[in-house]
Amino acid sequence: MEAMAERSQPAALYWATAAFAGGLLLHVDRVPVWVTAAALLLVVWRLVAAHARVPQPGRIARTVLTAVVTIAVLARFHTLNGLAAGTALLILMAALKLLESYRRRDRLVLVGAGLFLLLAACLDRQSLARAPLYLAQAWLCCTALAVIASDGFPGRAALALAGRTLLFALPLAVLLFLFFPRLAGSFWTVPRGEEGLTGLSDTMSPGSIGKLTTSYDIAFRARFEGPLPPPEQRYWRGPVLPQFDGFTWSRGARDWRARAAWEFAGPAYRYRIALEPSRHRWWFALDTPAQSPDPNVTLTHDYELLAPRPVSDPTSYEALSYTARRAAAPLADWERLEDTALPRGRNPRSLALARELRARAASDTAFVTAALDYLRSGGFVYSLEPEQLGSDEIDDLLFRTRTGFCGHYASAFAVLMRAADVPARVVTGYQGGEWNPVGGYLVVRQADAHAWVEVWLAGRGWTRVDPTAVVEPERLVRGALDLLPEAMSASTRLLRASPWLVGLLQRWDAANAWWNERVVKFDYATQIDVLERLGIRSANVWALGWAFMIALLTWLAVLAWHMGGAARSARPEALARAYAMLCRKLARTGRARAPHQGPLAYAEALRGGSPAVTESAYTLLAVYAQLRYGAPEPATRAHDIEAFARAVRRLRLS
Amino acid sequence: MRVPFAAAARARMAAWVRRRQGADVLPVTLARRRLYILPTRAGLAFGGLWLLMLLAGLNYGNSLALFFTFLLAGFALVAMHQCHRNLLGTTLVSVSAPPMFARRAGALVLTLENRSPEARPGVAASLDDGPLIGADLAPHGRAVLTLPLAAARRGLVRIDRLRLTSTHPFGLFRTWTWVHLTVEVLVYPHPAGRLPRPTTSGTQLGERPHGSAGADEWLGLRPFRDGDSPRQVAWKAYARGAPLLVKEYSPAGSDLCLFDFARLRIPDIEARLSQLARWVVDAEAGGERYGLTLPGAALAPNRGPEHRHHCLAALALHGSDG
Repeated sequence: MEAMAERSQPAALYWATAAFAGGLLLHVDRVPVWVTAAALLLVVWRLVAAHARVPQPGRIARTVLTAVVTIAVLARFHTLNGLAAGTALLILMAALKLLESYRRRDRLVLVGAGLFLLLAACLDRQSLARAPLYLAQAWLCCTALAVIASDGFPGRAALALAGRTLLFALPLAVLLFLFFPRLAGSFWTVPRGEEGLTGLSDTMSPGSIGKLTTSYDIAFRARFEGPLPPPEQRYWRGPVLPQFDGFTWSRGARDWRARAAWEFAGPAYRYRIALEPSRHRWWFALDTPAQSPDPNVTLTHDYELLAPRPVSDPTSYEALSYTARRAAAPLADWERLEDTALPRGRNPRSLALARELRARAASDTAFVTAALDYLRSGGFVYSLEPEQLGSDEIDDLLFRTRTGFCGHYASAFAVLMRAADVPARVVTGYQGGEWNPVGGYLVVRQADAHAWVEVWLAGRGWTRVDPTAVVEPERLVRGALDLLPEAMSASTRLLRASPWLVGLLQRWDAANAWWNERVVKFDYATQIDVLERLGIRSANVWALGWAFMIALLTWLAVLAWHMGGAARSARPEALARAYAMLCRKLARTGRARAPHQGPLAYAEALRGGSPAVTESAYTLLAVYAQLRYGAPEPATRAHDIEAFARAVRRLRLS
Repeated sequence: MRVPFAAAARARMAAWVRRRQGADVLPVTLARRRLYILPTRAGLAFGGLWLLMLLAGLNYGNSLALFFTFLLAGFALVAMHQCHRNLLGTTLVSVSAPPMFARRAGALVLTLENRSPEARPGVAASLDDGPLIGADLAPHGRAVLTLPLAAARRGLVRIDRLRLTSTHPFGLFRTWTWVHLTVEVLVYPHPAGRLPRPTTSGTQLGERPHGSAGADEWLGLRPFRDGDSPRQVAWKAYARGAPLLVKEYSPAGSDLCLFDFARLRIPDIEARLSQLARWVVDAEAGGERYGLTLPGAALAPNRGPEHRHHCLAALALHGSDG
């Protein structure tokens, strides 16, 4: 019977399905394709079933399907605990729920799933671009509630109603957002997925990469308090890779070591980094960070910033860096041994070249210069799409292909150094950054990822050498993307083609930066800051609690007042007011209405007065009596009362 | 299954509400202090979901999740106000209950009026245990709600209170009020029984009025309707100042039935009353004249809806003190 009712009024089912499908769309690029496909299949099936007779699975079939789905999710994620796995499971379970969505309760469950998917989407990503989508999803769910609650409520009216209601709710949402006391720390954590995040990895194997990904995604933004560092100093330090096995540079297990003692000099740069989420634990800072910006983040022995967990949410921190530095202590022998190690029997021609150059040079410093000269004059080409290298890949690069990008040249240069017993290691990170004049910060993109070399020179310590800068000096100034436009994706190239578009993008990026810093990172400390700006000195959690209560009560009072508006302006009261005004005006002519007198008795009593008073008073009082005590005529009553009130207002006696 | 304790609690609650509000007099305009509001089951589920969202948002310090949690909190609060306002100020103009037969569907007819310039969709009414019957009230509009009534036994059914309620607009809250109006519904006996109708000609009973034999039998006067022959109009009565009346006759030789409670040989009184009710209903449907004799009451032969009602009411109230 329910199914019959549904065929005549399928609106509730449509909207419930839409609320679920909207939630599904928020995750479409995060869950495995088969999850989306299965859910969409069930949605379509259900919509068809609302119109035609389609076989429906029984209880046993549904139970089996549920088990199958759970196992499939387990097989894919190896857990049900976790944002990605939980989302996939929720989507599939809700889609299965569609199979039995014949009752009102089942449709409400679908809307609940839509809201839960919205929550999961918020936990997953909080970018400015997605916020309108989330708002739309909330609207959709609320509309579905309205349609389900009253069958046959037209969709457009339900949309308007839900929209109006959400608009009323918006001020409260903003107030609570500002003043609801946030907690520091977590009660529990759910493992986060790593889908779709880019970033620097802990290892570098240039030979195996045929093509460098030139992602236009933002790695981080840096806002400087004082002047910017000059372009040639814009190296953003990431993982330091001292171990080389012939193919791959890696960090090795050196975290137990004490930090090398370095002395800093030159200007101190204080700046704020807003880091975009990545799948890695690295925090980036201008080379070289002098201290850890956060107690949980380690400044390692090699002056890398290592967080305890991957940066799964936008993160921002204040950092302090110096661009000039000197080692305070000599390199220990065993460290020197490690940092000059090379795999045996590989790259013989390169090793020979290194020994030859070193023999001709007077010092290690001169040798570095000679090696750089070799790269500068050897006909080397900077390319983001180099040929694949053979097994002796450094030999292959230096003597055959002579094309590569930063990873290739850094790797080759470090090998040359080590071959001549000069300690060297590869440092990865970012180089450069695009100035955003709107927001006043530097934007560093994934495409700015870079690799350079640090060489130990006696008296100076680890010294930065960038072989890529020698091969292609423009790389430092213009960045990889501008240098090699053909490496950009078509859409990126289009975006960078016109200055107008670039300006627009910079504005959009500044809005994003504001969003990330002011909205996404809004926390307890910011709340206290807001209170202090409102003039509350030494604000604490109690002040916040009071502010929260006051905000809530104010909003409730305004809401009650607004909602009562209709009742206040209800016709009977308007009528009573107009009558009171009429009586006041008549009383001023000398004869007040006695409490026992009704309107008609009063009119009779007024008869002795002046003709003008008598006539107008008599008419108006009779109209009032008719309106007040006469038979109700709902259609014209409101209009009549308004006319009566107007006439009373215009009445001039005397 | 309703345990006795719950039933007792309900009765106490009902008594308390009644003491608190007092008896109502029509028309009843629903005032603020008599409207009650609580979340529905969907509302409770929404609240649970909301709490989860809040915990998750706080736990992760996730600003966007918290924002949407707060937005939904505001949404629910506004929805509560809207729900309350949907019923506030609605006027119950009239309540009527036409007589009904036992074990057949009856109805309690309510008229609601919306005196505000805003629509009130989804206003519903119900009896204590009855189904909800809803209607949409247009701005300055009226709606008639017909609540189904069922009575197992004949007699007078007393309705002490009815409920006006609404879950508009989002079904998260239910606002309701009790209206304490005493409505008595007359329940005729269930017409049943297969005994043939005792038919006697009028002459046998000697009730034939004076007049020529074979002529039509004089039934009485009824108001004039368009199309009536002027010859049938009771001009004498009109001359005395009465309204236009028409003399009515039944065709000559039409049946005259007299149903006597005492003559029926059915041991069970209720069954006997049911049989009598059957005959009354059938006789009226057949256009016959019929009379009814009950212990302590006798209704002279007549016909017409009013007579039928008198007969059935007498049957309904047989044995009661009323």
